[in-house]
Amino acid sequence: MRIFDPHIHMTSRTTDDYERMAAAGVRALVEPAFWLGQPRTNPGSFTDYFDALIGWEPFRASQYGIAHHCTIALNPKEANDPRCREVLALLPRYLEKDRVVAVGETGYDSMTPEEDEVFAAQLQLARAHGLPALVHTPHRDKVVGTRRSLDVVKESGIDPGLVVLDHLNEPTVGEVAGSGCWMGFSIYPDTKMSPDRMVAILREYGLERMLVNSAADWGKSDPLLTLRTGEAMLAAGFSDDDVDRVLWRNPVEFYGQSGRLDLDEADTEATFAGNSILRGGS
Amino acid sequence: MSLRFGYGTNGFANHRLADALDVIAELGYAGVALTLDHAHLDPYAPDVKDQVARTARLLAERELGVVVETGARYLLDPRRKHAPTFLHDDAHRRVDFLKRAIDIAEGLNAEAVSFWAGVRPAHVSAEVAWQLLAEGCAEVVGYAAERGVAAGFEPEPGMLVETLADWARLRELVGADLKLTLDIGHCRANEPTDVAECVRIAGPHLVNVQIDDMRRGVHEHLEFGAGEIDFPPVLRALAETGYRGLVAVELPRHSHAAPDVAARSLTFLRAAQWLGEALGQLARDPAAIATLLPAARRRVGRAAAEDARVRLLGAVELTPDAAAELYRYGDNDEKRAVLLACPQPDLVRDALRSNDTRLVAAALGPAARDLPDAEWRQGVLKSVFMGLPLSGVDGLALRADAELGRMLAALRREREAAGRTMPDDAVDLLERLH
Repeated sequence: MRIFDPHIHMTSRTTDDYERMAAAGVRALVEPAFWLGQPRTNPGSFTDYFDALIGWEPFRASQYGIAHHCTIALNPKEANDPRCREVLALLPRYLEKDRVVAVGETGYDSMTPEEDEVFAAQLQLARAHGLPALVHTPHRDKVVGTRRSLDVVKESGIDPGLVVLDHLNEPTVGEVAGSGCWMGFSIYPDTKMSPDRMVAILREYGLERMLVNSAADWGKSDPLLTLRTGEAMLAAGFSDDDVDRVLWRNPVEFYGQSGRLDLDEADTEATFAGNSILRGGS
Repeated sequence: MSLRFGYGTNGFANHRLADALDVIAELGYAGVALTLDHAHLDPYAPDVKDQVARTARLLAERELGVVVETGARYLLDPRRKHAPTFLHDDAHRRVDFLKRAIDIAEGLNAEAVSFWAGVRPAHVSAEVAWQLLAEGCAEVVGYAAERGVAAGFEPEPGMLVETLADWARLRELVGADLKLTLDIGHCRANEPTDVAECVRIAGPHLVNVQIDDMRRGVHEHLEFGAGEIDFPPVLRALAETGYRGLVAVELPRHSHAAPDVAARSLTFLRAAQWLGEALGQLARDPAAIATLLPAARRRVGRAAAEDARVRLLGAVELTPDAAAELYRYGDNDEKRAVLLACPQPDLVRDALRSNDTRLVAAALGPAARDLPDAEWRQGVLKSVFMGLPLSGVDGLALRADAELGRMLAALRREREAAGRTMPDDAVDLLERLH
């Protein structure tokens, strides 16, 4: 089974996770820019983080043969902090980097006017830079947040085929299915979505425009739940080809729209900027 | 508006025409310049009408545009190359061939048919030659106009009409239906003005463009990069003329390696076109450097990326603060380009603090000239420690002093104590300094 995890926050994971993921069949991933648990207080804090997403993390992933790409944005939660919003002016520089394959995570957290403004502005950035957009749907008041997100997408003029609404569940998937947008599902150990619930959704809604991710981060999460979902699909009677479509070909198709996916990991270097992940070296 | 690149089938002389069209289409070309020849749609074949219909279908299926070229070497005369021409006694055979080519162009719905003058035979005076040419061209151009086919006349080095000025003279004689086929390489070989300027002059009259590299004074069609033409400004000038026809690679002596040459050529042209557009964008909006610099590598390819970035940086006037911002937000390849193109001491210091050999090497190039000696010595010592060759250190012979010798000697003692060796070039240097 080859796996492309279209949403995982590797900055928060250990090198051991990369090793386990590679062993489980993960060959590619996308790491969306998000908040770090601890609030940021200035734009420089973002840009150092973005630099890691295009620098150190792809290097770390490459040591295990995993192709690392990222998405760049001001996340909805921190869009509310005026000290952080200045980073919007710096985004165009990062949205032209080679391994940036979408604008994201954008969308809503608490559905404030500030979030409205930043969400709409970032969808325009996606259009200007020829990139897809990764839209985070809120944890609270999710159905309303999802509907409102679809409205903003519609108003923006972006092709819905270039947009994924993520962290969907049973109450929200139906809202997105008819919109032309892609549907993302984050499989978590206890919350959001489980492998078996995911299989039921795939049965009901089909495989088209479906993305399954682990969204693993600094919280309780598991980078191997993509694999578990694939196993659950097989156990439920889906074919190997169905699993390959959901766990590999769909994310390749979605992020491939950026024209920047580079899935050849042949030329891994031993060091990044002179530093390795090995202990006892430089 | 992006240019439509094509490839000349005379560069696929060892392929069947259908196979050549397959390869050219698969590579991503928008069209072909089809040279009618004994093995490629022979206008004298008894079944030429069927061949035309079949070729039109092949082109349509592959979504390829087409222009018809008439430069076959031995199609009319198996013994004399390109003969007969408008300037020979039996010029009617050339005219007959060109009319057949025009009929074929009509059948293929070609965008143009292309032809040239021929070399003036020794026994024909210049005055008579021009008269013969004008008469022959008038007949051909009139025939083409009746069929709605654009007639592109091509200046060829060594022929009676070999420059744009000659072409303008012929147009005076023949009339405004005589359009222009321009070979970009020829402009470098024999035009008095630079290539981009030629393109601007030619622009309003163009119906067909051929492209290849060339050297001054030598009419030899070369692969891109093997000649002297700086293509980015040429392609930008061409796009700015509003020309929408094919720009077809003309490499008739490269058939032996056609698929590889055609692949390399398209990669080169796309990269050159992007760079030309980017330079144009910077001329209008210098701030665009912030997004063009990171995009360069995927646009021009890994091998050409550094040169392209240095060129982009050289095209704008950067304040020290602006250069420092590009360095700050650049990845390490972008940082390296900034160090090469617009170095300043603070950026050089930052690069020397890193452990990235690419940055340290760039910092010790000409960028290090303004560094105080003490910092420069530390940089050189670090580069030896990292295993970089000293040949990359700018001005080493002049700047290396006894203090650097002392530092290198100390490093050697440390290395020897640990059972390790010094690189040979560092040993040579320290022995010279002692």
